[in-house]
Amino acid sequence: MLPRLVLAILALSVALVGQDPQAGKSDEFVLRVTPTELTLPIGEKAQLTAELVDIGGRPVEGKVLYFSRARRSLRINETGEVEALQAGTFQVIARSTIGDERGPQAMVTVTVPHPEPASIALRGAPKQLHVGTTTRLVGEVLDLNQVVRSDLEVSISSSDASVASIDAFGHVTGTAPGQIVLLAKGGGLSQEFTLEVLANPVSAIEIGASATVARTGDVVTFTANTTDASGNAVEGVPVEFTFHAAPDDSLGNAATGQIEQDGRFVAETPGLYTVVATCGTATDRMTIRANKRFEKKMKLEKIGHGEVFDVHTSDLWVWEGVDGRDYAVTGTWGANGDAIFWDVTDPANMERIATVQVDARTVNDVKVSEDGRLCIISREGASNRKNGLVVLDVQNPREPKPVSIFDDELTGGVHNVFIDKGYVYALSAGRRYDVIDINNPATPSRVGSFQLFEPGASIHDVWIEDGIAFSSNWRYGLRLVDVGNGVAGGSPSNPVEFANYAYPNGWNHAAFPWKSPDTDKFYVLAGDEAFPFGLSTEDNPTYARGWIHFVDFTDHKSPREVARYEVPEAGTHNLWVEGNTAYVAYYNGGLRVVDISGDLMGDLYRQGRELAFFLPTHPKGKVSNAPMVWGPQPYKGKIFFSDWNTGLWCVELVEDQGRGR
Amino acid sequence: MLGALALSSGLPAQEDSAEATSIYRLYVACESVDEIHRIAFDGQEAVVDRVIRVGYQPTEVEGPHGLTVGPKGEYWYVSIAHGKPFGLLYKYRTSDDELVGECELGMFPATMQISPLTGLLYCVNFNLHGRMLPSTISIVDPDAMVEVGRTQTGPMPHGSRLSSDGRFHYSCAMMSGHLFEIDASNFKVTRDLQLDIEPPEGHQSEAKPTWVHPHPSKRLVYCALNAKGVIAEVDLDRWVTVRRFETDKGPYNLEVTPDGSMLVVSYKTAGKIGVWDLEKGEEVARITATRGVTHGVAISPDSRYAFVSSEGKGAEPGVVDVIDLETLKKVSSVDVGLQAGGIAFWKIESLDR
Repeated sequence: MLPRLVLAILALSVALVGQDPQAGKSDEFVLRVTPTELTLPIGEKAQLTAELVDIGGRPVEGKVLYFSRARRSLRINETGEVEALQAGTFQVIARSTIGDERGPQAMVTVTVPHPEPASIALRGAPKQLHVGTTTRLVGEVLDLNQVVRSDLEVSISSSDASVASIDAFGHVTGTAPGQIVLLAKGGGLSQEFTLEVLANPVSAIEIGASATVARTGDVVTFTANTTDASGNAVEGVPVEFTFHAAPDDSLGNAATGQIEQDGRFVAETPGLYTVVATCGTATDRMTIRANKRFEKKMKLEKIGHGEVFDVHTSDLWVWEGVDGRDYAVTGTWGANGDAIFWDVTDPANMERIATVQVDARTVNDVKVSEDGRLCIISREGASNRKNGLVVLDVQNPREPKPVSIFDDELTGGVHNVFIDKGYVYALSAGRRYDVIDINNPATPSRVGSFQLFEPGASIHDVWIEDGIAFSSNWRYGLRLVDVGNGVAGGSPSNPVEFANYAYPNGWNHAAFPWKSPDTDKFYVLAGDEAFPFGLSTEDNPTYARGWIHFVDFTDHKSPREVARYEVPEAGTHNLWVEGNTAYVAYYNGGLRVVDISGDLMGDLYRQGRELAFFLPTHPKGKVSNAPMVWGPQPYKGKIFFSDWNTGLWCVELVEDQGRGR
Repeated sequence: MLGALALSSGLPAQEDSAEATSIYRLYVACESVDEIHRIAFDGQEAVVDRVIRVGYQPTEVEGPHGLTVGPKGEYWYVSIAHGKPFGLLYKYRTSDDELVGECELGMFPATMQISPLTGLLYCVNFNLHGRMLPSTISIVDPDAMVEVGRTQTGPMPHGSRLSSDGRFHYSCAMMSGHLFEIDASNFKVTRDLQLDIEPPEGHQSEAKPTWVHPHPSKRLVYCALNAKGVIAEVDLDRWVTVRRFETDKGPYNLEVTPDGSMLVVSYKTAGKIGVWDLEKGEEVARITATRGVTHGVAISPDSRYAFVSSEGKGAEPGVVDVIDLETLKKVSSVDVGLQAGGIAFWKIESLDR
């Protein structure tokens, strides 16, 4: 008996609701389920009953199987008892069997209403506002469980527009001293909020700037000193900044800059920029000039190319060997399980010196230990599905020697690895990363593991610096984990997460930590990976998408995404930062080198911060003449990078003496 | 006319005759290249007549693993083993091989089948990613492509197969050595059977059963004890192993012919294919596969041909070998994509000649 049920049974009559096209006996019998529709509040239960009859209405022996098509929102057990878990409209199927055959089925629609609206909240609502200043309010209806009802809108009105007015977007502006009531309505509720409008003591503003001549991409900070009629400084009254531009190139130019309400401004194109500061009736303006960022044109000049045309190339690592020569290793993708070793001491004449083949289809990642003695290669697609990783002795890179294989609990595939101070951080099937002690490389052993336990959370890559593991986690964004830094008491055997940041597109694929030597701000550069138009493994180029997100983690408790580097019509993959320069593998956009000096704000690409780019192509490439840059590594003044279609490259950033890019 | 028919079937034109030609069509999953290859076989030669790319993370190996075709042949389903991190089930229309639905399952969803009785799809979540903890069977409504239930069985469940009447689901837990039976109507485990002769220490199976297939007409199921080189015949009434067939190394997948007379087994480690006479309990043929690491077995509804996939190693292409179950010979083989695994029979078409 289930007395706590059913707010409203919409239809009590028995009826056949849904025909099952695969049912063997659906024409001969009828399954009657009652009720055919019902409304059930969250937490409540109801009992469905089913009756199987023939076309004459006579009962027929059979069984009924119940299932919910939204079992995490609406549960049903084998007796037909329904329980509402979340709001929405859901379907329950009752499917009959008669003897050894499928019988007819019925569908019951269950509506689970949202909990009743209980209150209205105004986000951003101040208690006080000065005349002539504006702030934005956002109204939300909260239900009985204090959960925002996103299906309901809130309208806000002012009790006296002569004191404070409010527009359709929630901007409330003080007009005259006094007190008003903001009336918020939504979800059948109305709620009043008191707002006091104060006289604005500011009678004058004096605007200042950190520079009057800057370059595009430089962040110029404007200040506004506010004073009253007696010339005394006034604090605490907000000032609004805006600007207008006179770009040098005024022919159909688009947006040319960006200003924040803390006074920071950045120009995207050369020209004159007039910043206006306003507070009540007081205003001031100041014009600055933004010049072209770079006087000298730079270019990336090809030094050498290690050709790999028969298979796709994946990641790379370049290092100085124990013999003092320079070496590189590259992985392969969707092929024979090869890792290719190169002598790159003379990068103009890279020499392919060895190939190690392991049981895998993809060696996605390759890393070499800090002392140049050990190389770790990842395995995916092993014939026995025991993927894991392989430890190689590369003291003589011309004859890499397998030292050990570690696949314990890494059988689902290792996509990325990182080596730090005797430990390998190895991704396991995108679910977690394991920390593996390789101090005795012949007998690696797992000492720790880190996993996100949010539903459906996944880890793609990890990079270690200063005892912090920076992982990239698709829609779960960046995770900062103490693995020995001390900030959160973590260690390799006890990884402790202490900060995170996620962004909406869910494409977070790479993470690179960087402390700006100019500003001491600490950033994590988060790289996307996205293929909205698919991937062409043969014959045709690929059109990837995505960008680099600059996330300011200086205060790791409140990280902020402050800038981006987004090349139109192309997509990011791996990246590296050295000094004030970012090296970005931009798949179909080639290799990109970007000046990230100074403070960062806005879109660095549009600000002209890109120093140079290089499009690696070859008619004999795995895909002909199609750049697909996978990963960069600056090394000894040059830049090595791997390209998916053509192999290993070395380029150098030099002054462009020609006619320009 | 014949040329046009041959072209549309992907097969070479044949000489005219009064007989009807049967075209056997099936799908095979190529796990390391994220492709499904559609195969056509005319009794003489097998060809790939279509390649379908699957998955959504293009530069990563997503691993299409299990395949099944719905009872009416209108749709085929493939499990995508590697997700973020959970795997997916994709539904494709057989008429044009277009993707028409998907839903998320558990960790490394693998083999599956649809019950003709309940109309639901039962897919094991193989979960080979970490510690060998008990995993689950996902139960999916293939019409709406939503998971409607999940039943816990043992660690690394594999070989998801239903009794011919669709009432019971069978799977093996590879790491605990158990055979599980689930009531397909209420999703509950009805019983389990330890397939190891000696219950292993630490609950780590020495038998490592990888597959199970019910006999089409008798109350028997056959389990591949991969690590022991044995096929166990389990009596469903007595719920005990009644016969044990010694095989070559690594029996992995197996299937009983629809007429119930023979059992075809892939010997994965040996790279061979075994054919057993079930009445006699004798291996009547042991055939070397075209390539190593034999994997899946699919038998035509007329019990005439067995189609066996082999993975190969590294850059070796996968292959599908066709075994004539009358002559017990390999009559054709066709290269497919890397690491050919899951294989599912679609239909027999009759072409008038």
